[in-house]
Amino acid sequence: MSLAKVFRENPNRRYIMFGGKGGLGKTTFSAATAYWLAKQGKRVLVFSVDPQASLSDIFKQDIYGKGAVEIMPNLYAQEIDADQHIREYQDQIRKKILDMYGFDKIPDEIESYIQAASAEPAMEESAIFDQVVDIVVAGEFDYYIYDLVPLGHALYYLSMASVYDQWISKITKLREEMREYEQMAARLSRKSELQEDEILRELQDIRYRISTSSSILTDREKTAFFFVLVPEEMILIDTQNAASLFRKYDVPLSGYIVNRVIPDELIAKGNIPPYLRNRHAMQKKYLQKIDELFGKDVLARVEEMERDIAGLSMIEKMAQAMFGEETL
Amino acid sequence: MAFWTLLITIVIVILGYRYYTNRVDQQIVAADPKRATPAKMYNDGVDFMPASGSVLFGYQFKSIAALGPIVGPITAVQWGWLPAVLWLIVGVFFIGWVQDYASAMMAMRNDGMTMGGLAYKYISPRARGILLSFLYFYLLLIMGAFGAVVAGLLAAPTVPIGFLILTLAGVLAGQMTYRWRMDLVMTTVVTVLIALVGIWLGTMPWAQSIVKAINGMAGNAEGVLYSTPYGPMKWSVWFWGIIALVFTYFGSVLPIWRFAQPVNYVSFWFVMLGIVGSILGVIIATFTGATGVSFEIPAYIAFNNHLGPLWPILFVTISCGAISGWHSLVSTSGTARQLEKETDAKPVTAGAMYTEAVLAVLAVVFAATAIAKADGSVLYDAANGYKLSVGAGGIWIYGMARFLSVVGIPADLGGAIGGIFLAVMALTVMQLVLRFMRVASAELLGDKIIAFKNPHVGSLVAIAFTLLILWTAFWQRIWVLFGGANQLFAGLALLLVTIWLANEGKKYEWVFWPGVFMYVTTVAALLITAWKSFSAAFAPDTAAAFMVGNLIAGLIGLFLAIAALILAWDGWKSLSTARSKMAAAPSGD
Amino acid sequence: MTEEEKRSLIQKIKENLSDFIYGMASHEATRQALKTRGSMEHLFILITMGDLLGVPILPPYYSLRLLPYVVPQISTWKRRMLREKDLVDALA
Repeated sequence: MSLAKVFRENPNRRYIMFGGKGGLGKTTFSAATAYWLAKQGKRVLVFSVDPQASLSDIFKQDIYGKGAVEIMPNLYAQEIDADQHIREYQDQIRKKILDMYGFDKIPDEIESYIQAASAEPAMEESAIFDQVVDIVVAGEFDYYIYDLVPLGHALYYLSMASVYDQWISKITKLREEMREYEQMAARLSRKSELQEDEILRELQDIRYRISTSSSILTDREKTAFFFVLVPEEMILIDTQNAASLFRKYDVPLSGYIVNRVIPDELIAKGNIPPYLRNRHAMQKKYLQKIDELFGKDVLARVEEMERDIAGLSMIEKMAQAMFGEETL
Repeated sequence: MAFWTLLITIVIVILGYRYYTNRVDQQIVAADPKRATPAKMYNDGVDFMPASGSVLFGYQFKSIAALGPIVGPITAVQWGWLPAVLWLIVGVFFIGWVQDYASAMMAMRNDGMTMGGLAYKYISPRARGILLSFLYFYLLLIMGAFGAVVAGLLAAPTVPIGFLILTLAGVLAGQMTYRWRMDLVMTTVVTVLIALVGIWLGTMPWAQSIVKAINGMAGNAEGVLYSTPYGPMKWSVWFWGIIALVFTYFGSVLPIWRFAQPVNYVSFWFVMLGIVGSILGVIIATFTGATGVSFEIPAYIAFNNHLGPLWPILFVTISCGAISGWHSLVSTSGTARQLEKETDAKPVTAGAMYTEAVLAVLAVVFAATAIAKADGSVLYDAANGYKLSVGAGGIWIYGMARFLSVVGIPADLGGAIGGIFLAVMALTVMQLVLRFMRVASAELLGDKIIAFKNPHVGSLVAIAFTLLILWTAFWQRIWVLFGGANQLFAGLALLLVTIWLANEGKKYEWVFWPGVFMYVTTVAALLITAWKSFSAAFAPDTAAAFMVGNLIAGLIGLFLAIAALILAWDGWKSLSTARSKMAAAPSGD
Repeated sequence: MTEEEKRSLIQKIKENLSDFIYGMASHEATRQALKTRGSMEHLFILITMGDLLGVPILPPYYSLRLLPYVVPQISTWKRRMLREKDLVDALA
């Protein structure tokens, strides 16, 4: 099985994610995959929700908080500025309150609540995932490549999503019951039509957004999730743990990509420092172990590059390393 | 004569409203249509919700008019009809509306506080606790007094089947509006029709024979279980008392919209039809002579009768029509939190009170125009000082049947309508009271005795107390005690209002003197009744069961009197403080 | 009195009478239903705006979205939560 084949055989998997510990090359793979797809005429958006995003670095262009920026034909990149998003969102809420009640200013009590809510740590995650929903739901692209925040965050969000979902169904039920009593009162006092319950509508929308964002991560049909790892003991253990956690949350794994493999040719050349030789030997051991563990799910082995990946030409080289000459 | 009595009452009532009430409202209390009421200010959709004046007038009237204005006057006719009518007219004019109106205004001007909070604020911290325990016994007396009346009514063979069908129609009404979401008019027409047909079915011979069979299931040949100095305790009354409380129990523990509310709703329409029909009957009878409308009971019989001296006992026997403490509860907890304008308080509270007085005079008319039935059986025993020889319910049934027959309703059906009419009026209040007692015992005792947090326990304990009273006490005495507690509660409300007015630097004499009168009268009545009960309990030939009932009655009476005196003492101190403040401040008017 | 005035008077009497009947017949039930609804509303505010009590239940991001709709109720909600409850309230 090759990486390209996964794409070929699953044309519906349009949400692509690379996961793994920080610094293993997720952003690089995201960019290279986007490049590979774009070259074949697919409209691709690669976006990052990581506050320490590095898409700007890799494309050598400042795109932070600027929306979807065209890098080359069909290839767009976006770095989400969560803080900015939260600020805009707060302003929307304020404006809505002012409009709804014709206030001149937000009552102090309400303002302090808005401030306090925005200072919550959970705020940023929800804001990010909410924006992901916006991006994905807009449906302007053929592929969405998702440069994921470190795994822990995603899993936390996933675990909370089901809790939120339950909460919202409870609250929705409460609202519906309230509605029932309101109708009861209306029938008894023979009042005509009631106003629609806006809160109920909002709740349904919130629920939709939460389930959409979590389903993006968990939909087997639409999502391809690749684990990035390097042949090292600690990383291997972490990956195994993460993979079992992912299974628990129903995140479908499409396969593993091994990065930073020291090329055999390099060692064969001779005249190399013992340090490198030792590392190579060690990698051999772990590569074998990786094959034993994951077998045909290992989709690619990418060799260690001689320098940092930045700029389209390096990205092209990386795409070559990942997909070879294969096409969709 | 009956008609003219009613007419004169109406004229006096209109004059009172037009002049006295208006003057107080505008010049002393100075109701201000622009002042924000608690309902407007705190509209929280739960405790505070504004409603229009005409809606609240209906709400207030429905909440205050129950058994009081009917049974009280009928019992009080034993002193003659004139004292009863005079007390109703004078009472409502100088005291009744004053309490209802002023307590609503007081609550409104105090952020919608209820009686407990107001007592705490204006009298003393302990006043609230005393008031609440007072309230519990007061409500227990309502349960006992009303329960006894209902048990007597249900024992009549024409009543129970119709009552049962009406209850089922009520449950159906709940199902139709709340579950099947049907139109209210449609629901009303269907269920009220079912109830009416059911009441008619209940008068059929087969239905009566079922009830008679039940009534004959125990006791001796006449169905008597044991005899008391006040008459025999019949198995039927004993049994139907339980049924009445089972009904009340459902009303207390089932979701309110499942049982209490829809049953009361159907009952309401039925009661309305009954009132309209009877008034029509009185008017037609007056001008056609279809039935006797001249008073057969003397205007004045004697100062003393078996209940006690005219003063103070008559003044507590007629409770709701002239003045009633219950109304201050409705005014403060219910109405004051819904009035959207201060100026609505006058028509809503005083208006409803005056209307109720007219209803009470109608009850006097029903009672005083017949002392014996057409078949010769006696209602008031003329040879024996016009002593009531059937239950007050019996008088009402007969009176209503008589006047309904004028509009073409057969006697049996008219009687059934009268009986069910009274029963549902009493049960509406009893359900509310039991619900409250349940909440009260959960609040007061729930922390110490966990079991009381369970709604069934609180309800069952209150029911057990009620049954004890029903089975062992003399209902007329319980009625007098209930009236005493009720009027005394009115006295407390007047005391509170007086202190409030004094604190505000307003004229308070128009509340103070009625309050003093009520206080002195009711404490005297309670003490006399307590003393009568104790002496009955310790009389040498008293049966054990009867001793219990009289002891309970005596103790409750004594407790209420003592609680009232403590409150009066604390109240007097607060009033003096307020007055000295008032004297110190530069006079405003 | 003109025809017009007469008609409006009759209209007014009709309205007041039907209000009165409604007040007797079903105002209490209406009020009960609204009361139940109202206390549920307060429960709702408690669980969505629970942050005010330091209980984050809904993600704050989303509770902000609901905030505009409950603005008018927040002060009455707080007042009702803080108001000293009296037993007699149960009678109303």
